[in-house]
Amino acid sequence: MATFTGYLRARSDDELVALLVRRPDLATPHPATMASLAARATSRSSLDRVLTWVDALVLQVLEAVVVLTPRTGAPSRQDVLAAVGAGPDDAPAVARAVDDAVALLLLWPDDDGALHPAPGLVDALGGSVAGLAPGGEDDGTDAPGGTPGPVTRDDGPLAVLADAPAAAGPVLDALTWGPPVGLVPPPGTTAADAVTWLLAHGLLVRGDGRHVLLPRDVALALRGGRTHRAPALAPTSADAPVRDPQTVAAESARAAEHTVRLVRQLLTRWEQTPPHVLRGGGLGARDLRRTAQGLDVDDAHAAWLVETAAAAGLLADDGEETPSFVPTLEADAWSAQDVAPRWGALARAWLTSARTPWLVGARDERGALRAALDPELSRPWVPRLRRAVLDVLAAAPVGAALSAADVHAALQWRSPRSVPPLSAVEAVLTDATRLGVLGAGALAAAGRALLAGDDAVEALAADLPAPVEEILLQGDLTGVVPGHPGADLEDLLDLAAVVESRGGAVTVRFTADSVLRALDAGTTADDLLARLSAAARGRVPQPLEYLVRDVARRHGRLRAGAASSYVRADDPALLAGLADDPHLASLRPRLLAPTVLVADASPGELLAALRARGLAPVAEDAQGSVVHAVAPERRVRARAARTSPVRERPLPERAASVVATLRRGDVPDPATSSRTPDPRHATHDAGSYLTRSVDVAHATAASRRARAARTGEAAGPARARAAGGTSEPADLLVVLREAAQARTSVWVEMVGPDGRSQRRLVRPLKVEGGRLRALDPQREAELTVAVHRIAGVEPADTPAS
Amino acid sequence: MPDGPLIVQSDKTLLLEVDHDQADACRRAIAPFAELERAPEHVHTYRLTPLGLWNARAAGHDAEQVVDTLLEFSRYPVPHALLVDVAETMSRYGRLQLVQDPVHGLVLHALDAAVLAEVMKSRRTAGLLGARLDETDVVVHPSERGHLKQVLVKLGWPAEDLAGYVDGEAHEIGLLEDGWSLRPYQKQAVDGFFHGGSGVVVLPCGAGKTLVGAGAMARSSTTTLILVTNTVSARQWRDELVKRTTLTEDEIGEYSGTRKEVRPVTIATYQVLTTKRKGVYTHLELLDARDWGLIVYDEVHLLPAPIFRMTADLQARRRLGLTATLVREDGREDEVFSLIGPKRFDAPWKDIESQGYIAPAECVEVRLTLPDHERMTYATAEPEDRYRLAATAAGKNRVVDSLVSKHAGEQTLVIGQYLDQLHDLAEHLGADLITGETTVRERQRLFDAFRTGEITTLVVSKVANFSIDLPEASVAIQVSGSFGSRQEEAQRLGRIMRPKADGKTAHFYTVVARDTVDQDFAAHRQRFLAEQGYAYTIVDAEDLGVAR
Repeated sequence: MATFTGYLRARSDDELVALLVRRPDLATPHPATMASLAARATSRSSLDRVLTWVDALVLQVLEAVVVLTPRTGAPSRQDVLAAVGAGPDDAPAVARAVDDAVALLLLWPDDDGALHPAPGLVDALGGSVAGLAPGGEDDGTDAPGGTPGPVTRDDGPLAVLADAPAAAGPVLDALTWGPPVGLVPPPGTTAADAVTWLLAHGLLVRGDGRHVLLPRDVALALRGGRTHRAPALAPTSADAPVRDPQTVAAESARAAEHTVRLVRQLLTRWEQTPPHVLRGGGLGARDLRRTAQGLDVDDAHAAWLVETAAAAGLLADDGEETPSFVPTLEADAWSAQDVAPRWGALARAWLTSARTPWLVGARDERGALRAALDPELSRPWVPRLRRAVLDVLAAAPVGAALSAADVHAALQWRSPRSVPPLSAVEAVLTDATRLGVLGAGALAAAGRALLAGDDAVEALAADLPAPVEEILLQGDLTGVVPGHPGADLEDLLDLAAVVESRGGAVTVRFTADSVLRALDAGTTADDLLARLSAAARGRVPQPLEYLVRDVARRHGRLRAGAASSYVRADDPALLAGLADDPHLASLRPRLLAPTVLVADASPGELLAALRARGLAPVAEDAQGSVVHAVAPERRVRARAARTSPVRERPLPERAASVVATLRRGDVPDPATSSRTPDPRHATHDAGSYLTRSVDVAHATAASRRARAARTGEAAGPARARAAGGTSEPADLLVVLREAAQARTSVWVEMVGPDGRSQRRLVRPLKVEGGRLRALDPQREAELTVAVHRIAGVEPADTPAS
Repeated sequence: MPDGPLIVQSDKTLLLEVDHDQADACRRAIAPFAELERAPEHVHTYRLTPLGLWNARAAGHDAEQVVDTLLEFSRYPVPHALLVDVAETMSRYGRLQLVQDPVHGLVLHALDAAVLAEVMKSRRTAGLLGARLDETDVVVHPSERGHLKQVLVKLGWPAEDLAGYVDGEAHEIGLLEDGWSLRPYQKQAVDGFFHGGSGVVVLPCGAGKTLVGAGAMARSSTTTLILVTNTVSARQWRDELVKRTTLTEDEIGEYSGTRKEVRPVTIATYQVLTTKRKGVYTHLELLDARDWGLIVYDEVHLLPAPIFRMTADLQARRRLGLTATLVREDGREDEVFSLIGPKRFDAPWKDIESQGYIAPAECVEVRLTLPDHERMTYATAEPEDRYRLAATAAGKNRVVDSLVSKHAGEQTLVIGQYLDQLHDLAEHLGADLITGETTVRERQRLFDAFRTGEITTLVVSKVANFSIDLPEASVAIQVSGSFGSRQEEAQRLGRIMRPKADGKTAHFYTVVARDTVDQDFAAHRQRFLAEQGYAYTIVDAEDLGVAR
């Protein structure tokens, strides 16, 4: 009889490579033998893992196979198609799902093409599959309420229905397609009578006092032998609105540009006034609000900007005694780039970041406010969710604007066992829109490239509008750039104007304050007017020119400077002498007025120096001395990325080397396993780390075999292996699981607490949680043994000695 | 349209490049739904507001038209969210309707039951709505018609008022078109108003709003109550009506502080209606004194709050609002919308100017450098005195002097806020002075003398801001104003905008003291003028030859 391990052994290298690529946990750490690969593939944790990421249709196929196998024997593909209710149109989709399930080693076909569930799959799927009550006999557990009695008549459970009361029909209808549990109707109603009748005829069984259960056999009969009403086909996004590509590109570019500008403003603000780091590591709610107001966005948006900038390594905790968040050195490099590469850095950081900025401002379990940049806000599944959401959008037609509900439905289909919360999907879509990965709700070219790992920066650059270097200046002191301003013009506007609105065009206003800012930055009125008139279409309007000149006239009428100490005297001649005194030159004395002299030395030094010149100064109250402190520029190096990147799947090459090792380790006779390296391996051996690590695994397996041979247990491994028996812990699990599924008996060698071993012939029922449950037919008892006490297993299909 | 004249910003402003070939077509297409915010020389800025979009709905435009227009003229792809918002906002208008039910009287009818449910749940509508008739109808007490409409606008579900009007007492009124006729835009305004039932007509100062009023009265031919800002304005309305319509002096009554006549056509001032004695409005009975068929509100943007409250009770009568601007300094545009009605007609100043119906104007700001002793006084003054000190700087007299002599022979108004300063100026210039203290008879005499050219220079206080028809004034010099009010600026400019016999340009001067709050306030007002598209320059007083 074919076995799972046998099937696995018969796979080609390519098939095994494909399997390892799709189930990376099987390859890490490297399995030594085919048997241990089989054991790992049938372990509960690996099955749970792979079931988490299969789609709804694959799950249906698995359920169908699991339900059908104990009843009709291993079903064929046709049986499965019929069981899930697939019509001719759906057949390709279902066939694809069957192929998937086989490729993932969740099902395996025997030589006749009948599909068997992988050992352990039944348990991994759980008791209630396809809306059916837990099955009766296949796992040794009984359905609640005892075994069905009278229904097991030859002509099927439904033959008695001909005599059923009318109300029985609706009762059965309600339970047929699941859930199979119903509340017992109040006594005295016709429904209650019907339920009583159905119970009496075994068509229902009692659950607890208030519930009845539709047994699996009855349900299947009512379903006409099918397991599902209809195949779960992928939801289509056909009715999603489709956006014009130009609109998508424009909105994406606008959002991208806006985000880059906001991040730049954020860095500037935090450079000037760095917010403190909370004790828990986050950003205070008040600082967040202040930042949001400064950037003219709402709090949630500000939290996202802060998180994204931090994820991109542009902001970090400076690690001072009272720590603050400040821009990093990397932020300077970032700021020097063009819009598109700046966006690229943010977008990549966003895609791979494990942060959940949408939780900022919500309360945690203890009722505390969640702060932005709080280390607690990382969730390992977030990067996967972002990719999954973008994947759904990428799979939709170009320009389709899927709603959050559409995306959520698609995700629900893709992995029904792990459905992200709708709120998280909404948040990812909002973030993607802010970033410009989406435009008008549809995936933009830049977003598509980002997801595919192509050059997203170039894709965005192509969508950014061509820069305009011209401004229309008007008499009301406004200016309009009829498009996206180029870098020079943007600088000029940053310098001398206040932006009033942005979009397809930029409108600015010149005010006395904004012109003053330009003058403060070192521009002269003539410079500014020259630059304006160079950029202007037509001449600079008279009121604007007047404004610039008028502000320049007032600019600098007050002067301020720094000095450390002063000397004042009523006698101007005395001070004039001091100012030119070469002995005091190191103190840099200078006259501000005939009777006031300032110096760069401290008052103490100044007094000492004056005394040394034979003068008799007295110290004055410190008031009036000017100390001008300039805040130092603060930078720290960004910490290594806190977010761990999504674990990569093993590359096919790596998987190939694993498979190669498996083949080597799986040679039945140690004599033939003397390594005859084939040319392929020789090339790999050329110093490659991967091959070396495979060799290590190989060596370990070989030494383990040697150890087993030395101890000489169970008359040597050679005999055990020849009969399909094993003492390898990983392998014996497979043998036990296969036996449990096939309901055959095995010889089990158990080591008792006293260290003595004993052999018993048992029928395994279930291997779960590190324990074997088995029936001992000789003693007619059930026993449970910890797997680590089992030293060897040997199939008993050859009569036991 | 890759290079259309319009740029649609995501903050709902529309930028129209006026030098573009299609600018005219575009302007006409967007005018019904977008409010012109400013119109300087190169790029006009329009704004999409809920009220503007609802005005468009009231005028029969639908969201599809608006969206198509934006898409047609836009140079860049239109922000998607904005299009969605436009459609959403416009769809809110008229989902509720006020209708007359033959059995139940006034009924609020919903085309969408959910909207009615939402509205009824609001605390604001509590007490305004009566018994619910079915899913979509609820009784409204007739006296709450206006109040309800106000509340519904605030809730974002403006109701379409289809409940109709009482006919009012018929009274024959005809236009006497002897040697003149309504200008085309005035005719359109009358038609637009009458077709819509009630609403506001927006025309620039000097464009003949009184005649639109007269036209509406002739069309309605019912007894009419006209509400105006002050007595002088009331007399002008009366004179104009006597001259332009078949009405005789006996048919027109004045209801003001001095006279209380109620006649088929009665002109009342806001002031008398809002006079309170012992906490009670004593002249409310005027509103019910006759069965008025039409109520005309002059200068709607100045309507005082109590008039709004009274108007809420007059919803069954046709209402015509006349104004130069819908902008209210107090931001109560939505009450004008809900109580007087939607905008029914609008023509930008520049259009009417280019058609020659109002004079072109040039605005000049003259900056006066204060002498040192005045600067010191100013710098040390209490903040509340600063504006007065700056506005009444003595040097301004010399500037006015030089301006008056520069425009010698032209009809010149000198406008100010502070009486001392005006007295000074009048004395300095040897000109007559009109203030609030001047008797109405004296005012009439001086205005008449000014109109006939007997006197060329007149010094006036803010009493002359409104509704005084001085067709030949071509130079206005303002020396002080009320803290930078844009609306006052529009009014004062309006004084000199009647088309001149020789078609010459009007001049509007503002004299300000440099580096003071006066200059800041002036900047505010002048921004308004520049936004209206008036050529606008700043000169130094020294350049006019005025010594420091």
